[in-house]
Amino acid sequence: MKDIEKKKGGVIPATDILEMDDGFHIIMDMPGVSVEDIVIDIEESELSIRGSSTYMEASNNLRRLHTEFGAQQYERNFTLSDLVDHDNVKADLKDGVLRLYLPKAESMKPRRITIS
Amino acid sequence: MIDFSSIYEGPNDIERIFEDMFRKSPLGSRRLFPQVNIVENDEGYIVDVCVPGVPSDDIELVLTARNLIIKGERKSPEGRYFRQERMAGSFQRVLTLNVPVDRDKVTAKSENGILRVTLPKAESVKPRKICINAGS
Repeated sequence: MKDIEKKKGGVIPATDILEMDDGFHIIMDMPGVSVEDIVIDIEESELSIRGSSTYMEASNNLRRLHTEFGAQQYERNFTLSDLVDHDNVKADLKDGVLRLYLPKAESMKPRRITIS
Repeated sequence: MIDFSSIYEGPNDIERIFEDMFRKSPLGSRRLFPQVNIVENDEGYIVDVCVPGVPSDDIELVLTARNLIIKGERKSPEGRYFRQERMAGSFQRVLTLNVPVDRDKVTAKSENGILRVTLPKAESVKPRKICINAGS
């Protein structure tokens, strides 16, 4: 997986990429993003993730005392290697974290070769 | 009308020093976690805490006389990491509140990784009108 860090106006979400026994996982922090506001595309070997967060500031005569975050456009692209089974990528969004599961391609799984 | 509402001091100085250390750290991408927004009106404070991936059960809110302490731990899954940018491990932030809050009425709710804590001010510090009885 190669990470293409070209910025197209969106913020690059903090991301973990790790390999587990069952395959690869891409975990991205996207607080404030709900399922309807996220688009994941795979085109050939390019995986692109875009999401926009909604941050509803509490209303009614409020004085802003301290501000560190706000609504955000997130965007990040990855190039999938042949190690990944492109057709079976799964995604899950929970507590503002997007988790992509990329199973290993069948041909890449470890196997034992018996001597005939 | 005498206004008893507070003037906010901002995060206390000790915390600010740590924030600066992190900002200047060669690790660069290490940011303050969790990020917080604080707003105030006559009724109370609303603190929004950006805690993606931390279930409410893993967040502890402690209210002391002057501070709201937000602490918890963000667990990271086991595996072979190619890239690790997300903050992992335990975190803590201390926010200073300038007026006492009504501890029994503090509520918190979480949505899409943003925790909203509502802290109503104690009745005694809410702005109120004081009638002056002249010539009694």
